[in-house]
Amino acid sequence: LTSEGETVMEHLGQIEIMDVELGYSLQPVSLIALLPHAHFLLHSLSPSSCLAMCSQDIRNTVGNIPMEWYKDYPHIGYDLDGKKIFKPIRTKDELDEFLDKMENPDYWRTVHNKMTGTDLRLSDEQVDLVHRLQQGKFGDVNFNEYEPAIDFFSSEVMIHPVTNRPEDKRSFIPSLIEKEKVGKLVHAIKMGWIKPRRPKETAPKYYDLWAQEDLNTVLGRHKMHIPAPKMRLPGHEESYNPPPEYLLTEEEKLAWEQQDPEDRRVSFLPQKYSCLRAVPAFSRFIHERFERCLDLYLCPRQRKMRVNVNPEDLIPKLPKPKDLQPFPTTQSLVYRGHTSLVRSISVSPSGQWLVSGSDDCTVRFWEVSTARCLKTVEVSGAVKSVAWSPNPAVCLVAISYGETIVLLNPGLGDKFICSATDQLISSYEEPEESKEQSVQWTIAEGSDHEHGQRLILKHPKAVRQVTWHGKGDYLACVMPDDNSSLQVVIHQVSKRRTQNPFRKSKGMVQCVSFHPIRPYFFVATQRYVRVYNLIKQELTKKLMANCKWISSMAVHPGGDNVICGSYDCRLAWFDLDLSTKPYKMLRHHKKALRGVAYHKHYPLFASGSDDGSVIVCHGMVYNDLLQNPLIVPVKVLKGHTITHDLGVLDVAFHPSQPWVFSSGADGTVRLFT
Amino acid sequence: MSQLQARFFTENKKYAIDDVPFSIPAASEVADLSNVINKLLEARIADHKHVEFDFLVRGQFLRSSLASHMDTENISTEEVVEIEYVQKFTAPQPEECIMHDDWISSVEADSEWILTGSYDKTARIWSLEGKAVMTMAGHTDVVKDVAWVKRDGLSSLLLTASLDQTVLLWEWNSEQNKVKARHCCRGHAGSVDTIVVDPSRTKFCSGSWDKMLKIWSAVPTEEEDEVEEPNRPRKKQKTEQLGLTRTPLMTLSGHNEAVSAVLWTDAEELCSASWDHTIRLWDVETGEQKSMLTGSKVFNCISYSPLCRRLASGSTDRHVRLWDPRSKDGSLVLLSLTSHTGWVTAVRWSPSNQHQLVSGSFDNIVKLWDIRSCKAPLYDLAAHEDRVLCADWTDSGLILSGGADNKLYTYRYSAYVSDAGA
Repeated sequence: LTSEGETVMEHLGQIEIMDVELGYSLQPVSLIALLPHAHFLLHSLSPSSCLAMCSQDIRNTVGNIPMEWYKDYPHIGYDLDGKKIFKPIRTKDELDEFLDKMENPDYWRTVHNKMTGTDLRLSDEQVDLVHRLQQGKFGDVNFNEYEPAIDFFSSEVMIHPVTNRPEDKRSFIPSLIEKEKVGKLVHAIKMGWIKPRRPKETAPKYYDLWAQEDLNTVLGRHKMHIPAPKMRLPGHEESYNPPPEYLLTEEEKLAWEQQDPEDRRVSFLPQKYSCLRAVPAFSRFIHERFERCLDLYLCPRQRKMRVNVNPEDLIPKLPKPKDLQPFPTTQSLVYRGHTSLVRSISVSPSGQWLVSGSDDCTVRFWEVSTARCLKTVEVSGAVKSVAWSPNPAVCLVAISYGETIVLLNPGLGDKFICSATDQLISSYEEPEESKEQSVQWTIAEGSDHEHGQRLILKHPKAVRQVTWHGKGDYLACVMPDDNSSLQVVIHQVSKRRTQNPFRKSKGMVQCVSFHPIRPYFFVATQRYVRVYNLIKQELTKKLMANCKWISSMAVHPGGDNVICGSYDCRLAWFDLDLSTKPYKMLRHHKKALRGVAYHKHYPLFASGSDDGSVIVCHGMVYNDLLQNPLIVPVKVLKGHTITHDLGVLDVAFHPSQPWVFSSGADGTVRLFT
Repeated sequence: MSQLQARFFTENKKYAIDDVPFSIPAASEVADLSNVINKLLEARIADHKHVEFDFLVRGQFLRSSLASHMDTENISTEEVVEIEYVQKFTAPQPEECIMHDDWISSVEADSEWILTGSYDKTARIWSLEGKAVMTMAGHTDVVKDVAWVKRDGLSSLLLTASLDQTVLLWEWNSEQNKVKARHCCRGHAGSVDTIVVDPSRTKFCSGSWDKMLKIWSAVPTEEEDEVEEPNRPRKKQKTEQLGLTRTPLMTLSGHNEAVSAVLWTDAEELCSASWDHTIRLWDVETGEQKSMLTGSKVFNCISYSPLCRRLASGSTDRHVRLWDPRSKDGSLVLLSLTSHTGWVTAVRWSPSNQHQLVSGSFDNIVKLWDIRSCKAPLYDLAAHEDRVLCADWTDSGLILSGGADNKLYTYRYSAYVSDAGA
């Protein structure tokens, strides 16, 4: 027994070890394979059966071999002494086995030990242990696998060291290895193999690109932002339920389909759905997005400059009338004497005398400075036009009334000039071959001669206007008639000759004028002003007046500008160098214009109208061809009373002073200074 | 009511009062101040008669209340105001109205006779009482200007200038009442608008529309001057003309337009005004232009006062302008007197008072000015019914004006006694 007891002790030690192994490696599935060990374990755990088992237990020494090898042998192995261990006698056959299974209630806890070939019935503790193992739990019931952990090596510094181990010696003596390494480095530095580290480049890698930027350019860039072109808003056609007129008919659909896609007015067919729910997915979505991208990509990257201008700034800056002085501002003198409307006035070249012709069949000569009527000449008809010869060396006034023009020597001014004029006229000798002329020249005699009349020209038709050439020898007169070629005749006083320059009628001639310097002749019909070259005898220019009926015309002393007054209240300024259309149209008068005039020296022109006013304008013509004339209305002069719906009939400037004369239907001539 | 400290003084010894400041109400006007002075004088002089006074504050006539005047003139009311007082100018008394047949273009009067030129081609001599004494008809056209040359005893010399381009020198015997054209001064090529006799009374100068000034001798002789232009047909004219032909001593040319007025500032210097907007001063000895004053308007008339050495001009606007002819820098208008509403056609300084002048205008009014009150004239003489063309002021205190209403008005202007003394 002692020996057995010793072996039991050995076995128990083995089981302990195996138990530990089992705790870590046992799998539930392999329980059966482990059963031999469990057998030992059972032995150790059940002290009641331990004695019985120990008595039977023979230690088999075959080791861990498949026990089938001993299937055909009576023994199942060898004990420690090398003797055969015989199999227990198996009396149970298959039937017994079955019956046992059926009848034995402990069959399920009976296991067969192959090593010994015996059956073992497991106790409750053993079954419980098997269950625990199968569940992967520790075999020991009392073992707590979730004991609270004690964190010895925590980050907190404890007052007591974890170990009580003294510090190593090497922790307080210098390290030889380090000394060696330092020596190598020092050597390398000495030899120049190691260079000190380069200072870091101070230039910052990144910097504010716009730090130095001017605020204005930033704003400018913001301003230059070009917004994407806006998408067209959907219209009725895009509606899921468009009005019927937007739906295409069959023919239209057909036509739409036959068109090229880029020719189509709309890129889709409007369709009608009963409700929004019935609208299918948008099939052209990708296509439409692509076209939108194309639009964005191809949209013009040009800024449309919006002109933000104050409309007042667009009005040209005109100088103030105050700065354009001198010009006539007030009525100074009234020349009273005529009893009917004064049709025409003219100032002598010296500026001392004024002649006026009136419907009361008189011509009056006035002293300008005192409004004294020095002479009155009666004629036999209403005086239509008077004109003082511009030649200062002769003293002649042309007067037209009815069908007659009278050249009159008023006997004013220098006596010598007056007598010289008389001599010039009387010294005329009739040429041998006298041509038949349309106009009859006769010498005034008798009382007419005493009144100053010198030459009388009888015309076939009523003469409306007479005007002198600048030299004072030629005299043009107008006999308006709609369809006659004899509307304008030019007389030469020194040779007493009359010419008819135009063969064809171009409309009713209103007035004519000579160019002040060049051999041009201006003829104003109702709508046009024609400029003829007298030497080449051709039409040079035709000015379109843009008005219905020209009433009067004046040529600038420089010769390049013409003003035309018209019955439709307009005054047209032509710059002959610019165009044949008016450079400027002035509509200051309320009623028809009757007379216009330029000043000889001052940049002034005046217009008289039926509204009884004279408007004086500053009309500066520059020598510089690039600069257009400056036209500023400066003064409205009122004084004439309106009689029979007629106001001012003629205007004339003083030759040397900035004074303007006007004659009116009220029978007066007025001087404005 | 606020009070002012004022000290009164006068240059007339007769009305002198104590030189002590008075406290007077600021709202007092001319009449109040005049009463104050009269009261003071009554206290001083036993037999003082009431005299109307006019008051000058810093050389300007007082025309409103003292406070408002000092306010407009920017005079401090804190200090003592110096107020000068003078005897009030009495209004010119209308004397005569002499009717003519036609417009009166010019008038010149001396102490006894009035000489007028008229648009009826004659010149007339009138007594001061308005009696027609003599008519000189010889011009073939309107008489534009007249002038007395000399009066010694019974015979007088006078000049008439006309639109017919001649100046006639007449000799008039007042006793026999006979007139004779002594010389016909020919040479102008335009109407002679103005003539003036020099201070020595031996020469005269004429200005014409032909832009020329011509100086002629005013001494009658028995010889006829040579005529330079032999080819000029004179036969006919000679038979017509009155008197012997005279040619100019000197011609001054320089004006660009008609000469409208001319006068002698002294024996050596001539002053002419023209339509070319200039007044030119000429040296008579050399015949050269000395200086030029430029205006902005046509000059109608000028007048020069040797007392104050100022030139007054009337032009084709509403102003009478005063110039200093000695100033070298061109145009210096010292003062402009604005009250007329038409062209100023006549202007004449008082021969005795350095502050006063008379002006006639196309607005039918003759105005009497004191240049110390330039805002408003002293008196308006509104007698004419038409444009005033000429005006004159004699040494004896007679103001004459003629115009287009064919009337010549004379006014007696009593220059106060103190002025003669001053």
